[in-house]
Amino acid sequence: MNKYLKTVWNTFASLKLTIINLVFLMALVFMCTLAQVKLGTYGAVRMYMRSYWVWWDLPGTDYALPVFPGGVIVGSMFVANLAIAQISRLKLSWRQIGLWIAHAGLILLVSGEFISAVFQVDTQMAVEEGQTVNYVESTREIELTITDTTDAKNDDVYGVPESLLREGTTVAIPGTPVSIQIKQFLRNAQLGNRGPNEMPSLANQGVGASVTVTELPPVTRDDDVNQTAVFIEPWAGGRSYGTWLVSNALGAPQAFTHEGRTYTLAMHRRREYLPYTVTLKDFRHDVYPGTDIPKNFSSLVRVDNPQRNEARDVLIYMNQPLRYQGKTYYQSSFGKDDTLSIFQVVENPGWVIPYLSCVLVTLGLLIHFSIVMRRSQRRRAKEA
Amino acid sequence: MKFAKVLPKVAFVAVLVGVVTTAAPPSGPHGIDVSAFGRLPVLEGGRVKPLDSVARNSLLVIRSQQSFRSGGGRISAIEWLLDDMARPMVADEQPVFVIDDPDVLAIMNQRQTSNRYFSFHAIQPYLSEIASQAETAQAMDAKQRTPFQSAIGNLYQRLLLYHRLRFSMQAPGGPTLAAMLAAPAETGQASAAMTELAMFRAVPPKPGEKAEAWKSIGESLANPVDAPLLRAWAALGVAYASQSAADFNHAAGDLTNAVNTRVPSAMRAASSEQIFNRVEPFYLGMVIYVLALLALFASWLWKPEILQPTAWALLLGGAVVHTLGLVARIVLQGRPPVTNLYSSAIFVGWAAVVLGVILERMYRRGFGTLVAATAGFVTLIVAHHLATDGDTMEMMRAVLDSNFWLATHVVTITIGYSGTFLAGTVAIVYTIRKHVTRTLDPKTTATLVSMAYGIVAFSVVLSFVGTVLGGIWADQSWGRFWGWDPKENGALLIVLWNAVILHARWGGFVREKGVMAMAIFGNIITSLSWFGVNMLGVGLHSYGFMDKAFWSLSAFIATQLVLIAICIAPARFRFARPSVSA
Repeated sequence: MNKYLKTVWNTFASLKLTIINLVFLMALVFMCTLAQVKLGTYGAVRMYMRSYWVWWDLPGTDYALPVFPGGVIVGSMFVANLAIAQISRLKLSWRQIGLWIAHAGLILLVSGEFISAVFQVDTQMAVEEGQTVNYVESTREIELTITDTTDAKNDDVYGVPESLLREGTTVAIPGTPVSIQIKQFLRNAQLGNRGPNEMPSLANQGVGASVTVTELPPVTRDDDVNQTAVFIEPWAGGRSYGTWLVSNALGAPQAFTHEGRTYTLAMHRRREYLPYTVTLKDFRHDVYPGTDIPKNFSSLVRVDNPQRNEARDVLIYMNQPLRYQGKTYYQSSFGKDDTLSIFQVVENPGWVIPYLSCVLVTLGLLIHFSIVMRRSQRRRAKEA
Repeated sequence: MKFAKVLPKVAFVAVLVGVVTTAAPPSGPHGIDVSAFGRLPVLEGGRVKPLDSVARNSLLVIRSQQSFRSGGGRISAIEWLLDDMARPMVADEQPVFVIDDPDVLAIMNQRQTSNRYFSFHAIQPYLSEIASQAETAQAMDAKQRTPFQSAIGNLYQRLLLYHRLRFSMQAPGGPTLAAMLAAPAETGQASAAMTELAMFRAVPPKPGEKAEAWKSIGESLANPVDAPLLRAWAALGVAYASQSAADFNHAAGDLTNAVNTRVPSAMRAASSEQIFNRVEPFYLGMVIYVLALLALFASWLWKPEILQPTAWALLLGGAVVHTLGLVARIVLQGRPPVTNLYSSAIFVGWAAVVLGVILERMYRRGFGTLVAATAGFVTLIVAHHLATDGDTMEMMRAVLDSNFWLATHVVTITIGYSGTFLAGTVAIVYTIRKHVTRTLDPKTTATLVSMAYGIVAFSVVLSFVGTVLGGIWADQSWGRFWGWDPKENGALLIVLWNAVILHARWGGFVREKGVMAMAIFGNIITSLSWFGVNMLGVGLHSYGFMDKAFWSLSAFIATQLVLIAICIAPARFRFARPSVSA
């Protein structure tokens, strides 16, 4: 038993495994880079880096085979190998202090990427000049919302995330008598006008009755957004309110009334509401004179946080994001004749880790190679 | 022997004297002082630059050359620009448009022959067909276009550039500038067209205006304050059209004075840039590196005690010229050395040369000179071919506009590229030597291996630090440290590969031959991450999209693979004979 354990331990401590890991990591990085042309960065990273295995779809079947270890496995092996090799092979001596520091930094760096992979949340905030916004939106996930709009001043919004929209299930909306039955869910679809000779729609209420829905494969490119379509049947007080088509491709709101309360059905990007508001005061897009080359993008925003009794102006521009309550807002895009500013909003609890680890690795490598160089110079001086 | 001591010094001084002589202004045809005209600053591409730069960059775009032969003489870029603006009849006959694409030639009823250059006059009958084809092509995404569509779109852009330069000074199809000034009331339409189409803005800001408030000649026609300046422009055009040297030089003097009173500092900067253009330090550096290589090759056959120091002196001369060019660019642009693909090639070469000089001082066996001169020469050739897109000192896009990060992240990562290429070059020297020399001296081999190993260790530090600094910049500007973007991945691949080489050697899995073969493979990885990722055209870093270099890159990778095979093959395998049993 002890013998086997030792073999395993030695395997994990071996330099051969280090090289295998490095080469596998290179192969993954290379494939992930090429795949980005077709899949977009997000899709390629999910397929190669944030997966246990790289799957290959058997042509003509629904089966997929794991053909290569994914980033999770290679990364874990990398960390395990580094840590175990460090403990078992390297001596705790001043001569190897540089390697100790560098390897510790590397472990930290890879762990940081694991933390980002699990906890990092990317959202967006689009604000028009003069507009005040108190939410960020997901760029990929959508949600079904049922909004009680009876009160003209205050809307009660209930969001149903995409993951709960499974065909045949019924979702009860908390705090209301309404429950929603999901009849059909299409992750991505093409919507069109229904001709007189086409099959009747699943929907018998609202705009959906005059719309055709054709299923499409989900989008893969980073800048594309799924047009999700879902057929739902709201129930309340034991009666059905008909079948409705809800989609983020449909503009006009649809509503039904139950016992004097009006509920609006809609689908849009999943929102996260903030305890503060952001108002865009001014967006600037400067170009170099006589060219279209952008010289500068900047957004002057006002952050209002009643909880903290804080209200201040912030200028967000290139290379100068706003870090506020765990979120980082950076200037990402713009539109509507330079009156709309779009911020990418990133929340990553592990953002400090790379800073620490890079200091460690750099320091470690410098120390190590200085020691090595001094040794080899002394040796050459002796020979001469 | 005295000669041995003197020759290297003579070579070094000769190189520098040669450089200084190129800085002297050449005389124009019939005593026309074209260089005074070329010195005038204008605003083009968002940057104030001398007309000499406008002329060179435009001719480079249109003809892929900075001067050309026509009618028995060599026509410089600035003369061509003057012809384009002031003597359209002459300019339209000059063969300046290079056309290689057979399908584009077919539109013009031409076959692919050795003549690749066409005048505007030769293209004119097919103009409407070219325009309509180009419009179709330009409506498409650049990546979807066929080679024909790219070529026709490109030709159309060059025709446009040719005319926009002209309309910076002349109204389209209308009166000359002199005529417009004589009858200002009738110029409304013509001056509007000139304002719309002008390629450069020649009228400097008036005192009290913002430094970037340059105006085109068309815009300034209505402004009486600018009238003296425009009259000088008009006189200059008339004088050039009649090839009258005295009038031209007089008008150029007036123009210089008028501009100089408004923007003296721009005048000085433009004048420095003109000298920089004339010296062409990177072209000269390329020539000097070749001379150093030739001296070194000769030294292997004859009098090494004289020729090897001469090669070294020439390398130093080349390094001095290369450095001066680099410093001049930094000063002129007010930016750290690397701002685009072109300048990265210049800098990669420079850092490789400096590293090679250090190696030569450490080992003194001529190998440092060899790899430094080779790396310097090759990277400057690459840079030369990257310069055909026009201005190499173009303005920085907003996201890159950070001198701090350009000076830290970009410089370190580029030195990492240099190191990896240099290690690869050492390995190539090792490979060739192994199969060419008859006597293998183990001490020299050990030197080469220790050089390669040392450089790889150096590169792993630099490329790691550079990559991580890039991550920190990304965190500062995009809010995430690492996004698996192609350029980031490319940098990571270099770090990983250098780490593989080091660990494989520490573990004893590879010895000299293996380390060397791996170092050559490092050339492939670095070239892919330097240029290859730009060809994918995805990601946040793809500022320098390029598709032209695909075949060059493939050819480079193929040669490296062959070299790896030769490196692994047994020494002097080509001399191997079937053994005859005694």
